[in-house]
Amino acid sequence: MGIMDKKKAIKLSADLAIASARKGTTYWSRAIIAKATAENNDCSRIIVENILGPERAERLEKASKLSAVRYNNRLLRSRKILKKCHNVRRALRKNVPRRVVAANSIAKRMVEKRTQVLKGLVPGGEFMDEVSLIEETLDYLVSLRAQVDVMRCLACATDLVNGKYEGKKKLAIVKRRVCGLLLLFG
Amino acid sequence: MLHCLNAPGNLAGNCTDMTVLERQRARMKWQQEQIQQQQQSYFSGSELSGVFSGQTQAGQVAQSFQGLVGCESVLCEAVNRSVKPDPGLENGWPEMGKCEMPIMGLGSCGGLVSDTQGFQMNGAISRTASCPPTVAAAAADTKAREAALHEKMSSAAGRESFKKRKADKFQNTKVVIEDDTKEKRIKANAEEGESKITTEQNSTKNNSNINSNIRESSGDTSKENSKASDQVQKPDYIHVRARRGQATDSHSLAERVRREKISERMKYLQDLVPGCNKITSKAGMLDEIINYVQSLQRQVEFLSMKLAAVNPRLDFNIDDLFAKEMFPASTASSFQQIGISPENSAYLQFNPVQQVVSCCGLEIGINSPDMGLRRTISAPVSIPEIFLDTSCFTQVQPPTAWDTDLQSLLNVEFHQGRLTTPYPSQPFAGNIEASNLKMEM
Repeated sequence: MGIMDKKKAIKLSADLAIASARKGTTYWSRAIIAKATAENNDCSRIIVENILGPERAERLEKASKLSAVRYNNRLLRSRKILKKCHNVRRALRKNVPRRVVAANSIAKRMVEKRTQVLKGLVPGGEFMDEVSLIEETLDYLVSLRAQVDVMRCLACATDLVNGKYEGKKKLAIVKRRVCGLLLLFG
Repeated sequence: MLHCLNAPGNLAGNCTDMTVLERQRARMKWQQEQIQQQQQSYFSGSELSGVFSGQTQAGQVAQSFQGLVGCESVLCEAVNRSVKPDPGLENGWPEMGKCEMPIMGLGSCGGLVSDTQGFQMNGAISRTASCPPTVAAAAADTKAREAALHEKMSSAAGRESFKKRKADKFQNTKVVIEDDTKEKRIKANAEEGESKITTEQNSTKNNSNINSNIRESSGDTSKENSKASDQVQKPDYIHVRARRGQATDSHSLAERVRREKISERMKYLQDLVPGCNKITSKAGMLDEIINYVQSLQRQVEFLSMKLAAVNPRLDFNIDDLFAKEMFPASTASSFQQIGISPENSAYLQFNPVQQVVSCCGLEIGINSPDMGLRRTISAPVSIPEIFLDTSCFTQVQPPTAWDTDLQSLLNVEFHQGRLTTPYPSQPFAGNIEASNLKMEM
């Protein structure tokens, strides 16, 4: 097993861990689980089963698939409505000066572009509308931060065990880490 | 009132299922309340909770009313005192007292307890200042008074006499200066109270007189008011109100609600993302957020790479380390801290649902012995041979004093963990780990 496979497995398990911490209440976590279960990889399947537990993994998988379908339908419907609104707006805005319209459209386009980028970053973001996208981003960000923190702790721990630091420095680092984690959870 | 109603949820908001957004919102609200409390020193916490529970008695209502509308009541007393010497203001004051006070009184006590100090104050105003005959008639009979108040309340909401009130306030020097946000909140309170009253009255229908009055009043108030009463029928509604010059058709109202929601969430995100406080434009904020998310994701990538690179050496080194550090008893505690506590805390984070994550090759997630076996067969990382032996899961007997010491330390660790995060599976995992360590030693 190469180092890249190992890295992939570690990343997958870390992602699944933060997703399972949310218990399927958020869309990004469901998207992560759905993506992990969609992979027909032997290794990933074992990781999913081990982290989520067999029956829970099945349930979550089903839920995530369902939610994706629902979101698709909603997306289509909302797009139709949006089109109608656009037409109405165009018709209404005739007496507004052209420069204002141009500036507005530029700002809107900028926001839209960035929203698209954000949708690509947040797992399952392509199915979200703007409000829920920002909400999910908020949630995802916090989980991601916790993940980074814990992984950093693990890396630090392995460094310590491997003997990079000696004596008192070791103890100090460990103490700091543990305190940080306790603060994180408290 | 808006945030008062939500506050019980905030107080009980420590459960784990809560999303980040809710938590953030609760925190913000709590801060707001703190600020409010600091502003008004006579408004103590017990009164606050009294308002929240809704079971307020008359005196308490009066006090809480004072607290909520603190400046308003001060204003009212000022009116009582200053009306006679200054007849020039007489035209301004009665209207203000008439419009604001009942709304605030009803808003703060939920519309149920109506015969409170607010009304008395109103009565005082009507006595001192020359007021229209409707109020005078209302003072005689309580029911009639209520009806008139309702009428006035809705008309006040429709008329929007806030500007006038503000101007009056500047004339009066005794008045405490309110900031704009507070005024907005008060406005929201007024609207909330009003709508609440309409629902309650509609649902109970015990007083037909009031009902008819309300219907009359809602007939001649503005378009938004009727819309609001439509929205009130739903249990959780969003109160939308168009300001002057804003569109009132349902599409633009919905759009405005959506935009407000987005901006609220963006505010929370702004708090969360470092260096995002000074940016005002939405595009810039999104930029910051994207950068932050990307950086975090890259960090995860990097760290997983690092862990993957580090693990194999760990497997070999761990035995040496154990052999080295087991015999000197003085280093036992430090060893325990180093070898286990970071990983335990990793457990705390990574398995809230009784399953164990294998993030580093040293520890392998095991729920039952056979699962552990399967795991070892197909696991990506090399595992010490002892893991294959299932007997190690059952033989947890501390043979020496050192071992008991270790276990107690472990238990302490886990108790700490449970104090902070309630995961029930921790003792089990701890036992497994302890046994593993023993076997390896």
